[in-house]
Amino acid sequence: MQHRNNYTEIEDFLADESFQLWVCFKDDQQDWEEWTLENSSRAKLVEEARLWLLAMKTPDSDLSNEDVQSALEATWKKIERKEENKKIAQPVIKLWKNQWFKRVAAVLVIGLLSGWFYNQHFANKNSALTYNELINENDEGLVEQTNNSDKPQIITLSDGSSVLLQPNSKLSYPKIFVGNERKVYLSGEGFFEISKNPQKPFFVFANEIVTKVVGTSFKIKAYANQPNIEVVVRTGKVKVRSNELISNSKDELIVLLPNQALRFVRENLIFNKITDITQDETLRHSTSTIEQLGFEFTDIPVSQIFKTIEQAYLVKIDFPQAKLKDCYLTTSLGDQPLPEKLKIICKSLGNNTSYEMNGNQIIIMSDGCN
Amino acid sequence: MERQILHTETLDDSILWNNLKKGDEKAFSILFKKHYSQLVRYGNSFLPFPEKVQDCVQDVFTDIWIYRHKLNDAVVVKAYLLSCVRKRISRSQERDRVFRLSTSVDSLKFLFDFSIEHHLIADEITADKVTRLNQLINDLPSRQKEALYLRYNQELTVDQIAHMLDINYQSANNLLHRALLCLRKDWKGSISLILLLFSVVF
Repeated sequence: MQHRNNYTEIEDFLADESFQLWVCFKDDQQDWEEWTLENSSRAKLVEEARLWLLAMKTPDSDLSNEDVQSALEATWKKIERKEENKKIAQPVIKLWKNQWFKRVAAVLVIGLLSGWFYNQHFANKNSALTYNELINENDEGLVEQTNNSDKPQIITLSDGSSVLLQPNSKLSYPKIFVGNERKVYLSGEGFFEISKNPQKPFFVFANEIVTKVVGTSFKIKAYANQPNIEVVVRTGKVKVRSNELISNSKDELIVLLPNQALRFVRENLIFNKITDITQDETLRHSTSTIEQLGFEFTDIPVSQIFKTIEQAYLVKIDFPQAKLKDCYLTTSLGDQPLPEKLKIICKSLGNNTSYEMNGNQIIIMSDGCN
Repeated sequence: MERQILHTETLDDSILWNNLKKGDEKAFSILFKKHYSQLVRYGNSFLPFPEKVQDCVQDVFTDIWIYRHKLNDAVVVKAYLLSCVRKRISRSQERDRVFRLSTSVDSLKFLFDFSIEHHLIADEITADKVTRLNQLINDLPSRQKEALYLRYNQELTVDQIAHMLDINYQSANNLLHRALLCLRKDWKGSISLILLLFSVVF
């Protein structure tokens, strides 16, 4: 207790246990009384510290020994209850703490994950045909167009046919159709308007099915990651069969007429014909603008017709508005591809009217109508 | 007599603690009996609901026993227990606050009031001085009061107080120092006033 000689602050005394004992319990084992009297300035400090202690009493506990005892018993009961609950949860935790269990679980998780990945990326190949395989089958030197935008894109083919390609879809086609067949490859969704040419049938290869037409308009929806393929016919006659690469039964040939559709279940290669598309919920909801728009015009201003075409094909048409102001047309453009539609309009207007098409930009040149 | 008991038994705490860790139920009971009422009193200075406080303190001991294998060896048992009780009460308050959707996020308020050792005061002058000082102490901000309580009534070190109140050592030291400093100034002033009054009277 020699360091008390260095005490200069009340704090020093307050924190000194033996000082507290002396003040509060008159328990003076360290001879505080004597020490205090040794020095007068010390005595002043000690007196002050004593007052502090007297002013900082904490009340005695109002809990009796019995209270504490019953609290202890209550606590043991709580412990029992909690341990009971823990035991129920324990086995799972214990199992998890086992190193072997962790390893096995890890292997299982990895296995399941890789299985899932495999399914996502490769499983289609087992029974299903993909766009890439189909293209590899073809050696004509194809051009591929992909629509990564969020709007449909118009593609004009060398034979005058047009395809409105929906977002996230792609189409492969030869730059120029040669031979007796016209073949294109679709992944995703597209609305086809095929120029008539009975000598050169038009084929759309989409996953497992092949659609053969002579000259019509129809829609094919064949996304690689969807379980079904849909073909919806708007005009003309469409024949659909499964691709011979996956099926021997060439005999199954579905013929579709306007407003009929077909849903092909890829998993088990089954064709479901829908004889009335207005009866089918999903088809009715998924019709695009072009399928809804009518192209029957009776005495309609030509600017109005251009507007309809702009809406249907998402193209931009520039035309001499002043010169074509008073031009009205009556025409039926229903199952014509876009170039054909434009050609017919130009011809009807006469007077050196012609058009130029650059991607989705169409320019009409005209001196006015007859 | 409590202080004396505490004084003689602080050494035993760590032994009891280590026995408890090994699963000694008796050590647990002794520690419980030794600290329970003290902890309840400390808890009562935050919450005006004695039953809830007792519940919290019992929960603290329950967890100590259940998770005894994970307890740290090197703890000052008393400081640890006080800190556990404080946290527990604070947490239960926060839960209640969420339910009440109250906006107050201020942590616990130390509502405890120090009293006076009347039986140790013989003369009136001392009594007056002590009463005045007691009033000043009780008027301190709650945090300073709590620091004083922990330092001089629970004999925690500044370090332990800093840890409990979740502040650094310097802040804890300042808290204590500021409390004492401003008290002494106030008190000195009032004492000279009292002395002046007395000298006038007599």
